[in-house]
Amino acid sequence: MSFLEVFQYTRQDSVVHRLDPRSKLVMAIVLAMISLLFMNIVPLLILLSVLLPLIGLARSLQRWAKSMSGLSVLIVFIVIFNTLLSTVANPFSYSIALSLRLIALMSSFSLFFLTVHPDELSQALIQMGVKFEFAFAMSMAMRYVPTLGQEAYAIMDAQKARGVELDRGNILKRIRNIVPIIVPLIIVSIRRALSIAESMESRGFGACENRTYLEQLKFTRHDWALVLVSVVSFCFLVYVRFYLALPPWMSWGLPF
Amino acid sequence: MALIEFNDFSFKYVGSDSLALKKVNLSVEAGEYVVVSGPSGCGKTTLCRAINGLVPQFHRGYIAGNVFVDSKSTRENSVADMAGITGLVFQNPSNQLVTLNVEKEIAFGPENLGVDPAEIRKRVEHLIHLLGLEHLREKHPHEMSGGEQQRVAMAATLALRPKILVADEPTSNLDPQSAEMILELIAEQNREGMTVVLVEHRLDVVAKDASRLILMNEGSVVADGPPEDVLLMDICQDIGIGIPKAVEVFKRLRSKDLHLPEVPMTGEDLVRIFREVVEHDSA
Ligand SMILES: Nc1ncnc2c1ncn2[C@@H]1O[C@H](COP(=O)(O)OP(=O)(O)OP(=O)(O)O)[C@@H](O)[C@H]1O
Ligand SMILES: [Mg+2]
Repeated sequence: MSFLEVFQYTRQDSVVHRLDPRSKLVMAIVLAMISLLFMNIVPLLILLSVLLPLIGLARSLQRWAKSMSGLSVLIVFIVIFNTLLSTVANPFSYSIALSLRLIALMSSFSLFFLTVHPDELSQALIQMGVKFEFAFAMSMAMRYVPTLGQEAYAIMDAQKARGVELDRGNILKRIRNIVPIIVPLIIVSIRRALSIAESMESRGFGACENRTYLEQLKFTRHDWALVLVSVVSFCFLVYVRFYLALPPWMSWGLPF
Repeated sequence: MALIEFNDFSFKYVGSDSLALKKVNLSVEAGEYVVVSGPSGCGKTTLCRAINGLVPQFHRGYIAGNVFVDSKSTRENSVADMAGITGLVFQNPSNQLVTLNVEKEIAFGPENLGVDPAEIRKRVEHLIHLLGLEHLREKHPHEMSGGEQQRVAMAATLALRPKILVADEPTSNLDPQSAEMILELIAEQNREGMTVVLVEHRLDVVAKDASRLILMNEGSVVADGPPEDVLLMDICQDIGIGIPKAVEVFKRLRSKDLHLPEVPMTGEDLVRIFREVVEHDSA
């Protein structure tokens, strides 16, 4: 699953990191939609040649390359199966385009998730009108997932030490084996939730209608520029795609 | 009226069949440093909860009597209303850190109360500096040690600028070194004028700083006074309170009819008192 790393925030100081999450969201969605507009190799390669420098600007090319090499097995599969099973005219060419589209889609969204801290994301949601409690619940999930994982391992170890055999037997038996893990985990989690609630309550959670925020996101000129460029290029490409025919060199494909 | 006033306060949790607090009477003046100790289940945590209103606002149950904190009844004010008066530090540090980095954590309380962002920024910087958290600024709580987490939790509580700092066994999950650091921070807060209520078992470490020691047993306050008086009472043995070694020495000497002029709390105290006695005799 190492290819998922490309969706995980990495702390960097880069132009892309400093942009407002909202403008980056617009950009990511536009890039993703563009990759869905085209099903030819050349336009998708052009799109990638825009995406890669952007990821480079975010100083994350290495991580991107690592994730993509993790993805390569999947891509080889897609290509082989599609070529063999597909009924379109040039199945190999088609499969290559399909893989390029997958890479372009992933890269578009990774550009967002690589550069937006979960805190910024929840702050962005709040400033887009989502209720604080809801956005906060999301960032709390991020906060406590590792803790919960650690707890699950501790319980698993304890149960193994008491002789519960977790990875033995047929499917039914294995499912039944999960019970001695899940039940204590739920109990521990409820207790933890109560104690977290106590702590939040004692610090005035939900006390005041006019909650303030230490840091507000600010839309700068760069953000407006990015949104403008994204929207204009999107409109232009939609126009090209649906109202003009692609020039022949653009719709070039492999002959098989 | 004193800063904290318990008037015949009793409390029983829903689903429990014995009183967690029984007719507690207590008054704590501003600036005191109160240490609370007692066997497991005697009601120390419940006492702390009663001071910031978690009992009876968050934990419901049977109540009799009243608690007033800063002249406000905890029956009538929400926990959030009390948040700016009583800051509570809990036993488990990781359950007190609810955000993804230190700055947000410290800001969380004041943000909830609607404090102006510029003022919050000032408090955050001050507390990061005061508690030595610079190197943790960008860390996920999950990547911090227990001691670091507890320091952050403390900063997050102090950010509300409470009048009273209540800490419920803040060091019981920590290594001795981190524990000492936390206790020193608390003592420092008290020297700066903060009223402190600290639940702590290790009296050998805290008795020297405390102005008052309260012992509890089965929901009642069984001893209340200056540490040097309370630690000499027989009740300590009866309820299994571990008294500091220096006090032990004082008592042994006393049983052999050797009376030291004051009760030592620490080894250093003991040496100092001995020296004074010896020098006084030789003079
Ligand atoms: N949430 C709760 N619901 C029901 N009963 C509770 C709850 N919390 C505490 N009690 C009960 O109230 C009594 C006092 O508990 P409390 O936690 O105040 O003791 P404590 O002195 O803090 O103990 P410890 O030293 O173990 O922390 C105990 O009998 C306990 O079982
Ligand atoms: Mg307790």
